[in-house]
Amino acid sequence: MITFVFANDATIEVIKKADVVPSIAVEDASTDYSDTFRLRFFKALNADLNVLSIFNVDRHYRVNDLYDDVLVDNKDMDYVLRYKISEDDGGAFSVQMLLFHHGENIFSKNYRVSKQNIYMFVSHAMAYDINEFMDQPSVAWMKRKVIFARLIAPMKSEIVISDYTLTYQHAVLKGGFNIFPKWANQKQDAIYYTDLDAKKPTLKYLNIKNGQIKSIISSDGMMVCSDVSSDGKRLLLTMANNGQPDIYSFDVDTHKYKRLTTYRGIDVNGQFMSKNKIAFISSRLGYPNVFSKRLDTNEVEQMVYYGKSNVSCSAHGNYIVYSARESSNAFSQNTFNLHLISTQTDYIRRLTASGVNEFPKFSKDGDAIIFIKNYKNQSAIGIIRLNYNKNYLFPLKYGKVQSMDW
Amino acid sequence: MKSIVLSSVVTALLMFSGCSKEPAVDNKADAVTTPAVQEVETVETETVSPENSVVDSGNANGSDMDMAAIESKLPTVYFAFDKYNITPEMQAKIDAAAELGKSDEAKSINVKLEGNCDEWGSDEYNFALGLKRAEAVKKALVADGIDASRISMVSYGKSNPVCSDHTKECWAKNRRVNFKLLP
Repeated sequence: MITFVFANDATIEVIKKADVVPSIAVEDASTDYSDTFRLRFFKALNADLNVLSIFNVDRHYRVNDLYDDVLVDNKDMDYVLRYKISEDDGGAFSVQMLLFHHGENIFSKNYRVSKQNIYMFVSHAMAYDINEFMDQPSVAWMKRKVIFARLIAPMKSEIVISDYTLTYQHAVLKGGFNIFPKWANQKQDAIYYTDLDAKKPTLKYLNIKNGQIKSIISSDGMMVCSDVSSDGKRLLLTMANNGQPDIYSFDVDTHKYKRLTTYRGIDVNGQFMSKNKIAFISSRLGYPNVFSKRLDTNEVEQMVYYGKSNVSCSAHGNYIVYSARESSNAFSQNTFNLHLISTQTDYIRRLTASGVNEFPKFSKDGDAIIFIKNYKNQSAIGIIRLNYNKNYLFPLKYGKVQSMDW
Repeated sequence: MKSIVLSSVVTALLMFSGCSKEPAVDNKADAVTTPAVQEVETVETETVSPENSVVDSGNANGSDMDMAAIESKLPTVYFAFDKYNITPEMQAKIDAAAELGKSDEAKSINVKLEGNCDEWGSDEYNFALGLKRAEAVKKALVADGIDASRISMVSYGKSNPVCSDHTKECWAKNRRVNFKLLP
């Protein structure tokens, strides 16, 4: 699977010229809803098509009342996507979609969701289906949900579910100081999070479907669920009995845990690389940096030989994305950039070039990386398509993201 | 608590004095009379209660009062960027805090050390850094003769700033350990 996604070494940049990819125009044939909402849907769909990275997407909002013919303006486009959004009797939101290639209808599909306010999920599904139809590597991550904690005041937070562009936001846990949410399984119907209002920091499990909360395990000082194994059976926790932050593995069924690191400084941010190998952040060289550890042989390896402050990482198979503070002076222009490394090569690929980029997280299939970018007092959610060497940014409306999982 | 009670008294008094002038308007005499009566009652109970509550809280929450007084004497320990070692200047503050902690009035009180960080760095690493700061203060207190069982620790990472400006001075204020007393 991994070798399929990264058919070529992902640390080597792919340079593609913009004019090599086919052009696509988008036409709105809707009559329902307000102009504002119609334009909003167009923008969402336009953005999703861009993120596919397989089209040169025309940004003009074109209205076409004739549902079955391509506009004259768009005759020269390689592809034309025509859609019609409409409101059903029960307030449901429906979309009919037609894809034309040189005037011929080559693909069509209809969508329906119960409420208008979740329109972005329809847009993501349309882009996903077009990508599948075009026979491109899967973008299943487009349809997945993001969970994040938002700080609303000192020691007050909310846990929010959103789509991958953070356009849709629904707070599932309000009140109190609950942070570090992580999806508990592939189905995304439950999360782990840290409750800091409890007497000791406590890992809790929230079933999103029925709202039930279970306490899992507590630790003095600190408790973070850093990663959940792909089968949901094992967790990597940072716990700190006696004030000593170390990484532990935790068995979800038996609740047994095992200490994996013993350095007396800081070891955090454990990430599964394979069944017997983890990546993590440690201060064992006197500054935060990325290391890996084999759990069978206890062999520890320094993964990065660049930067003096590599504070967080996300792993997918042999690949690790990490954020590094670029400036040696702590209080000069602070810049954190994301970098990609592979255990198979010595090459480092820089993924971002400006601002403070944090919370990198691989999609489950490793095809994309999600992150938060802060630049000139603005925050955005970023998507990096590794195979296409493209970054996309969606502005973030409000709230300071504390932690995020995809 | 007291300030809330007092401010509600002030509010009630203001409303009362405002209402007492109202009956001059004949048309609204009926409408005004009812709230005016309610307000009088409120003022009476509220003006009495703060006097009582001072006495009550003095009896019931004696340790709270002492604790607040002791807590106000305890230092905030500050740290350098990305560091959790204690500087000589901060060591002197911790030594003084330990002396206070051994005094008769404080020796039955436990302390929670709250570690905090500035806004830089990933939150998970920052949580650990905040905790190591709390742990460094704990070790210094234990070395000064405070029983380790009286000390608990928690880290808030960068989630509990006292200052939110994006300045060097502000970040320095956030890299700290606070003492919170527990009965």
